[in-house]
Amino acid sequence: METKKRGDLLINGFGSSNGGSFNTLTINGKGTVNGDVNCMEFDCNGTGTINGNVVSNTAKFNGHGKIKGNLESQSLTIDGTAGITENLMVKKLKVSGKANVGGKIKSDEIKIKGRLTVGEDCEAETFKAESQFTIGGLLNADLVDITIFANCKAKEIGGQTILIKQKASLLGLLKGFIPTQLETELIEGDKIEIENTKASMVRGNNITIGPNCIIGVVEYSGDLSMDEKAVVKEVRKA
Amino acid sequence: MSEDLISKKDLLDLAGISYGQLYRWKRKDLIPEDWFIRKSTFTGQETFFPKVKILERINKIQMMKENLSLDELADMFSPNIADLQLEKDELIKRNIVSKTVIDYYLEIEKGGPEFNFSRILEVYVLEKLLQSGEINLDEGKMLIQVLLDNKSLIKQKSAELVITRKLGVSSCFLIINTESFHFERGTKIVAQLSLMACMEEIKSKLL
Repeated sequence: METKKRGDLLINGFGSSNGGSFNTLTINGKGTVNGDVNCMEFDCNGTGTINGNVVSNTAKFNGHGKIKGNLESQSLTIDGTAGITENLMVKKLKVSGKANVGGKIKSDEIKIKGRLTVGEDCEAETFKAESQFTIGGLLNADLVDITIFANCKAKEIGGQTILIKQKASLLGLLKGFIPTQLETELIEGDKIEIENTKASMVRGNNITIGPNCIIGVVEYSGDLSMDEKAVVKEVRKA
Repeated sequence: MSEDLISKKDLLDLAGISYGQLYRWKRKDLIPEDWFIRKSTFTGQETFFPKVKILERINKIQMMKENLSLDELADMFSPNIADLQLEKDELIKRNIVSKTVIDYYLEIEKGGPEFNFSRILEVYVLEKLLQSGEINLDEGKMLIQVLLDNKSLIKQKSAELVITRKLGVSSCFLIINTESFHFERGTKIVAQLSLMACMEEIKSKLL
């Protein structure tokens, strides 16, 4: 990419612009960009709206950003809120605020400490979440490591290692009042360790079912250990 | 299309792979999305696969993953190919096409001796059908015309090529993403070829 000749696009205050190729694109006030954008650095600190697809090297949302299209980037950090109406393709995704993706996510590394909503599938090599999330399709990752903070939902979860833990409660008092759990139809993996999970089907090799799980059917081929406080309707050994 | 289906569990047993591997391959797009067929069974939802296709694909992946990384494999199975350029002589040397066919192709297409992937595919299809004796030169000409006119369609979708003959008149169809097709009585399907499969054949020959 020829980047030296490119200019920067900076919107401070109210403003709007057409899309195009830039070195850096910064929105500090309330900015709107109409059209596809190709840039090295995308920074949104105020309220930014892009009506088009975005391709960038690094992308950062600190305020409130909205992309009406696809976003493709090497890295994406969301500290504010971000909405992407279509697909999100990033190597490294870090969400500390709130992210809403209408389509699917394809990534290498996903780290979430906020809230994530995905309309379709979510794919990554590693998926680490200490948060609340809703995934409309399949959560597919080599390593799925989830600490449940609030109600989580995924249609299906599949991968090699799947770990689902309940957040260690600091306020023991509140524990009884706010039941949090992860809800899914199907969990499939080689190594599965789950807590506080409601699933209709769990299939895998080595399965550990922790407290407060409500499971329809467990199918395993290696080892299975179950907590006393788990409710499992049916166990099948493959 | 009534195909033999295999459930995910049976597939893993049969192929000796783990859930992790299957999901990884799916992530890398080694297994196409539309092969995952969801059906409800008495135990709830189950995923099924077209048995013949998936076993063949897994076989290929297992055979080739010794020499190639998963990303290279993904390139191989995906229909959108990297910018590959080959000389005419190189294609002949690698046994992808014969000299007569490539000369005939160039005569119709009137292009240069540099072949990109879509041109390789066209000439390969021509070679395949001519060599098997299923079509004659005139039909070959028609076939190339169809492929040339629909170049952009072929790249993205799983396309199938069908050549029929009725009362000595032949026609050529390019069929995109269909389940099945039927003709009136008396029409003979001379040749039927999946372009996706052809692409994979070429790629395995090139690597």
